[in-house]
Amino acid sequence: MAPKAQMGERLELLQGTLDLLILRTLRWGPMHGHGIAKFIERTSQDILKIEHGSLYPALQRLLQEGWIKAEWGTSTNKRRARFYRLTVAGRRQLTAEHSRWERFTEAVARILRPSAAEEQP
Amino acid sequence: MRWRRTLGKLAAIFRRGRVERELEEEVRAHLEMEEEENRAAGREREEARYAARRAFGNVTRAKEMSREMWLYRWAEDFFQDVRYALRTLGKSPGFAAVAVLTLALGTGANTAIFSAVYAVLLKALPFPEPDRLVMVWEDVRLPNYQNEQNEVTPGNFAEWRSQNTVFEDMGAYRNRSYNLTGSGEPVRVEGELVTSGLFSVLRENAAIGRVFTADEDQPGSGHVAVMSEGLWKSRFGGDAQILGKTILLDGVSYTVIGVMPPGFHFPDPDDQLWVPMALSEQELNNRGSHYLDIVARLKAGVTTARAQAEMNTIARHLTEMYPTTNAGQTVNVVPLHEEIAGPVRPTLLALLGAVGLVLVIVCANVANLLLGRASVRHREMGIRWALGAGRTRILRQLLTESVLLALLGCALGLLLARWGVAALKLLSPPHIPRLEEISLNGPVHAFSLGISVFAGLIFGLAPALEAVRGKVHDSLKEGARESAGGARMRTRNTLVVMETALGVMVVIGAGLLLRSFLLMERTSLGFQPKNVLTFRVIPRGERYAKPSGRSAFYQQAIQRIEALPGVKSAAAITFIPLTFVRGSKGFTIEGRVPPAPGQVLMAGYDVVSPGYFETMQIPVLEGRDFSWSDTPQTQPVIVINAAMARRDWPGEDPLGKRIRQGGPEEEFPWMTIVGVVGDIREFDVMTQPRPTMYFPITQWPDSYHVLRDWVVRTAGNPLGIAAAIRGAIWEVDKDLPISRVRSMEQVRSLSVAPQRFNLLLFALFAALALALAAVGIYGVMAYSVAQRTREIGIRVALGAQHGDILRLVVAQGARLAVLGVMIGLGGAFALTRLMAGLLYGVPPTDPLTFAGVAALLAGAALLACYIPARRATRVDPIVALRHE
Repeated sequence: MAPKAQMGERLELLQGTLDLLILRTLRWGPMHGHGIAKFIERTSQDILKIEHGSLYPALQRLLQEGWIKAEWGTSTNKRRARFYRLTVAGRRQLTAEHSRWERFTEAVARILRPSAAEEQP
Repeated sequence: MRWRRTLGKLAAIFRRGRVERELEEEVRAHLEMEEEENRAAGREREEARYAARRAFGNVTRAKEMSREMWLYRWAEDFFQDVRYALRTLGKSPGFAAVAVLTLALGTGANTAIFSAVYAVLLKALPFPEPDRLVMVWEDVRLPNYQNEQNEVTPGNFAEWRSQNTVFEDMGAYRNRSYNLTGSGEPVRVEGELVTSGLFSVLRENAAIGRVFTADEDQPGSGHVAVMSEGLWKSRFGGDAQILGKTILLDGVSYTVIGVMPPGFHFPDPDDQLWVPMALSEQELNNRGSHYLDIVARLKAGVTTARAQAEMNTIARHLTEMYPTTNAGQTVNVVPLHEEIAGPVRPTLLALLGAVGLVLVIVCANVANLLLGRASVRHREMGIRWALGAGRTRILRQLLTESVLLALLGCALGLLLARWGVAALKLLSPPHIPRLEEISLNGPVHAFSLGISVFAGLIFGLAPALEAVRGKVHDSLKEGARESAGGARMRTRNTLVVMETALGVMVVIGAGLLLRSFLLMERTSLGFQPKNVLTFRVIPRGERYAKPSGRSAFYQQAIQRIEALPGVKSAAAITFIPLTFVRGSKGFTIEGRVPPAPGQVLMAGYDVVSPGYFETMQIPVLEGRDFSWSDTPQTQPVIVINAAMARRDWPGEDPLGKRIRQGGPEEEFPWMTIVGVVGDIREFDVMTQPRPTMYFPITQWPDSYHVLRDWVVRTAGNPLGIAAAIRGAIWEVDKDLPISRVRSMEQVRSLSVAPQRFNLLLFALFAALALALAAVGIYGVMAYSVAQRTREIGIRVALGAQHGDILRLVVAQGARLAVLGVMIGLGGAFALTRLMAGLLYGVPPTDPLTFAGVAALLAGAALLACYIPARRATRVDPIVALRHE
């Protein structure tokens, strides 16, 4: 499961983390699909690689959970685009997911990093 | 597999949907934006587009997966709702049981009644292209005689058949029973004299052998017969060599040429034999005797109206050609399905209406139960809301719950309906046609499912809307129960008022039928059916060809029967009362001005043996009964009933006056009136007696009017001597079958069977409606008392007495009940006239019934209020106030 990537290579996303990333991205304000993809790539300094197509099923799922809302608007370069916005429930979900993620990564890190406890006989 | 297909279908719905188009546009916009960015970064157009595609990945797959998200979510929600609903119901099994059982009663009763409506009124007749089958009647409008479905003269039949251009063919038939003898006990078999056209009109062929051809319509073409599959099996053991064999009918041998397919019986369900009518040239010119029933098949594309118009034109010509016989005659073309279904339609529709009202009451009751639960579950809804569930999502979940309840009710209801249909078939009177076709088939199941889902949505909607109406923080606050209680109470009150109103309507329907039935039971028949045995023996064959032979048989048989121990007297008649609708005869009174053509005096008639009036205890008001010494050699005599004496000899003594059959120009012998007897109910209990003539069998020459029915007055139980009577008849002639052995009480009971059947079903539905309404009122009052515990506590603390509290609560319930009863009376006033045809001697707005039912409902309502009111009086103020 763990990515066998080396530094400098782009990383495939862990399953389930895309939802979290989208929600987190939308905290900054309404954004369209392309914007979200670019934002994630940019913010991770191009380490996280997103297949743009995979964004849309995830957005649909989040819509149906009621965590985000969508409405049509105009993008900066005058193009009609669908903007996604975080809902109250989405904000709550983000908080919950965020803390879950932190506990998860912490736990994984503990196992990978040799700890004091492990070195004891 | 089926699950996949369902998903596929649902996907198809979405594929065309708005969601789909939006996704399409969104993806296109995404690709273009990416392409623009790439070009801004200095790439070539082709290269930029390609890179955008690569970054996006598989476009089709992305779209598909997005689409699946919708479907997946939809299905998941659905199953989640169903699972959740099942769990919730499981947690309150009492509520679930009551609701499901109530719904099962409602849908079960509706399904059972609908199965009958479907089989009798909706389902096509079991013949090819049944819509083109019609009955053709004479429509007679004369001053003394009106009948829009008059039987047809052979003369008219012949003319109609040759002159019309609207029918493919026409067939005539006439009921005729036969004594089937040889090999075993003699039996009487119901059959029909038919023309060959009957089978071609119905497009029915024999299963074995053949049906009649036009050759067999010619007189003297030989005695042939076609039999039913049932008779072939029961009497001839399904003999494969039956064709060409001869059977003895009324002592005459007939050759069997065909066996009909199973289930073929036309026109009556008990018909077993068909014999060619073979009308002679002389009969085909007969325009005076009306005895044929005509069925015809419309040519393709011809409407009933067009056929009707053409037949009327033909009838007008015939009236011009034969003014004496065809005066006042037109033609009545009736679709066969209407002919069969028409008479029972009012009954079935009234039943369907009543049972439909019961279902509405059931819905109101379950809605009330759900509202009761809504107050308990208010907190739960609040939490779901706070956790982000949308209004529609909660609504959908609550409706899933109510529809699930309805479907569980439907499943149990179908089980009840299965028994209901069996009971219906067992109880239903013989007047309901196509009874054997009633079953829980596809359309009936669909109906049941349909009304259940509909009911589920209806009774679920009000409580569900109620549940999502409140605000989130309200429902989470302590004491929110009270604040939302007001609106909910209003809804519940409305439901109870509605339930009571509908209950009143159904119970009034039942009440009117009960009143009718009681009146019918009390109606004097004019004869005494108690301790009378009746049976049918028809003397036919060589031995009885002459009147003297028949007369001798009646006298011998009656003497032997009267000699039996326990028999007081015996007699015979053409048809006993309450069994058969008979025609009437024209007659002329000696010395009166001859009437104009078509204005001949008419009266009903029967032929009887001496002793008939004594046996039936019909009083001889004046003069005498017939005697065996009235013979063809003595003076011709006749007895009339009081109705005829009143109509034709008002203020005169009819005794000694002379009348004769037929119009003034016909040369029948004069008959002297020697007696006047009391009026009796002749056709059924309801029809008023009509003027009637009684002819003595000892002077009666016509062989068609043999005496069929026998009556025996006994000292004890009449059915007890049936076997002895059989012996007495067979001592005179061992080849005569004896059928229809019944007590006259049974005959009377059978004649009111349709009314009893209606009453029984209506009473059942009324009881259901009454119970449901009472339970509804009880539920609301109990809830209201629980809500007002604190208030009542304060009242008691301030010194209110038990009586005050009782009055307070009962008055609240009484207000609802009175409002409901008033609305119900209004509704019943508007609706009961639809069932006027089912009533006897009672107007549809009978004040006694209306008042009685209003009192009954009010009483039930008060009782339903009283129990919670009693509970209210036991409220301890200390406990009530501390509780809050």
